[in-house]
Amino acid sequence: MAINRYTKMAYGSADEMVFGHSKFPVKAGLGLEIGGGYTTPEVNYAPRPEAGASKEKLVKEYQRITTDIMNRMVQVGFPSVVLETEHVEQMTNNPTWGGEVAHAQKEIMEEFHDEYGIKCALRHTPGDIREDRDFLELRGDKFNTLMESFEEVASNGADLLSIETMGGKEVFDYSILRNDVPGMLYAIGCLGTIDMDFIWQEIASVAKKNNVVAAGDTDCSEANTAMFIAGGLLDKNLAHTLAIIARAISAPRSLAAYEAGALGPGKDCGYENTIVKSIAGVPIAQEGKSSTCAHSDVMGNLVMQCCDLWSNESVEYHAEFGGTSVQCWSESLAYDCALMNTATATGKAKDLRDLFTLSDKFRDPQGYVLAYDNAYRVGEAIVKDGNDIYLRAKNAALKSIEIMEEGMAGKLELTRFEKGALADAKEALSALTDDQDTFMSDSMAKYKEEVKVFLPENYGL
Amino acid sequence: MTSLDIDPSEILVRYNVKMEKAMTPEDAAAELYPKEELFRPIAEAIFEGEEDDVIEGLEAAIAAGKDPIALIDDALMVGMKVVTDLYDQGIIFLPNVMMSADAMLDGIDFCKDQSDEAPVSKGKVVCHVAEGDVHDIGKTIVAALLRANGYEVVDLGRDVPVDEVIEAVKAENPIMLTGTALMTTTMYAFKAVNDRLLEAGLKVPFACGGGAVNQDFVATYDLGVYGEEAADAPKMADKIVAGASISALKEEFHKH
Repeated sequence: MAINRYTKMAYGSADEMVFGHSKFPVKAGLGLEIGGGYTTPEVNYAPRPEAGASKEKLVKEYQRITTDIMNRMVQVGFPSVVLETEHVEQMTNNPTWGGEVAHAQKEIMEEFHDEYGIKCALRHTPGDIREDRDFLELRGDKFNTLMESFEEVASNGADLLSIETMGGKEVFDYSILRNDVPGMLYAIGCLGTIDMDFIWQEIASVAKKNNVVAAGDTDCSEANTAMFIAGGLLDKNLAHTLAIIARAISAPRSLAAYEAGALGPGKDCGYENTIVKSIAGVPIAQEGKSSTCAHSDVMGNLVMQCCDLWSNESVEYHAEFGGTSVQCWSESLAYDCALMNTATATGKAKDLRDLFTLSDKFRDPQGYVLAYDNAYRVGEAIVKDGNDIYLRAKNAALKSIEIMEEGMAGKLELTRFEKGALADAKEALSALTDDQDTFMSDSMAKYKEEVKVFLPENYGL
Repeated sequence: MTSLDIDPSEILVRYNVKMEKAMTPEDAAAELYPKEELFRPIAEAIFEGEEDDVIEGLEAAIAAGKDPIALIDDALMVGMKVVTDLYDQGIIFLPNVMMSADAMLDGIDFCKDQSDEAPVSKGKVVCHVAEGDVHDIGKTIVAALLRANGYEVVDLGRDVPVDEVIEAVKAENPIMLTGTALMTTTMYAFKAVNDRLLEAGLKVPFACGGGAVNQDFVATYDLGVYGEEAADAPKMADKIVAGASISALKEEFHKH
């Protein structure tokens, strides 16, 4: 499939964006329309490690998980749900395992849909297995196995296809630990996008052939690594100003899935998704306060602002006082969605959106830039040079810096270290060329020398 | 639409701004540099993470008659201690430590090249990422912090088979083994490593951490010591060198 770059915004203004509504809703699964006027919980889970011992044990585990979630939704009276199965590596490496799990899950979901009319869909996210012990191996045998996995799940019941790709990670891991913003730009914006262009054309073809939805990617492997390393307010591992620059650069990378044929909803851990939605108008999944079972962040309410699916990231399947873990988390998510949907029904959606945003907007530079009004501005910077994968990523980084500088002049408090990292990043970015070819060739020479596990052939370079 | 501008002071506290140290990193470092005029520029270059300046400083010191191997302890490690102390105090960030460690390691290589003698490290540590897991940024941080604190690191890389970990411990006789994992599904390899080490009679402290790894899990196996932060690894190593037992390490580092 062809690549069609975005050069204009889907929305005329930031204020048009709100949770539960997307410019281009997606029909999927059993009666569900994502972004079609309501929000839906998306429950994400991991099997207990011992369940990975055999295919039979895994299938049984996912049957239990699926039944538990569907039961709880019906018991408490929620109208819709999405289940996301993020593959354990055995399932992707053995494509028929993933197919059998998808089939078993979908059978259960169909029974509930038939009996109760609950709207539901099944997302499968094969693992990005394209690497060996020493290097990324983005093209070749492992890529072929990965595509077989997509084919198997798509033909056996998965309604939405996603992945969290690793392209650019080898250079990113090196750069982020050295405050090297041009390296982050090269890794995420250029190498990541090149890999996304490559893999998403293939995934979109598999989806089209099987009449399911190519849903989208996230820069989990890079921007979320930055967020995770940055940690909380008192951690000293990475300036939060750098973490949000990495996040801003990740938006054009995640956008590449839609440019290659994906339709959405984007993946839950893509905190860059508000920016992506402003450009592409696709529905998005998000995670925040209800994903504390998996990790902490500093924008737990804010990211609900424009979500279409509301996710818990991932929880291991086990018993809690209130039922199994998937039942507890699915119920929490569904109550959040009920509140958002009530706001929509009473004409208060934009007020609730703004309350979500304001409760975290000043908590951290990450939330400040991702607040939907500012996220929209990052989107505008991206589409300004939408056909140039380097310039649009650079624009996103510079715009995020400009937004933070405005914030510092107002109510966004930053430490001296965060300000210093911001100033250094601005200086490094401002010194860069505007010419993609020059940047690419200079960066390739530099990182081939400095990052011994970087293989340009992974990117067709 | 609600105004997107409020006074946030009643709904959040930016504790990092509130707790910020008055002293700049440069001022704090300046108080810690060695006084010896041949060593000070080397320590400053390490703090700045400038490899070329480190080598230049070493060349000047050697030309003035200093022993290359002695310079590792007297200048390079002293400069690196300024960096790790300021990191521990929350005055500088992890990337500063990584860049300084790169500069220090270049300096150590240079000193080794200038001498027939071998430097003596504080101890040897074997590092690895659990079998089945290819996420190695946590291990990279742990290895860099250990090296920055004067330990020799044998880095087995990522997705390391249990057999290979056991063989490395037998061959290298480290004071400590470290294991990192991002996923709950891969961290179970740590239990297998623990059991195989015990079978072989190798009671080496096994420091584990990363991603989804938690203290409850690590506490279930005899050799396991849970590290919440990568920066705990050199602190554990220091305790081991000082004679701490595995149970003493658990007592100190298991916080929950």
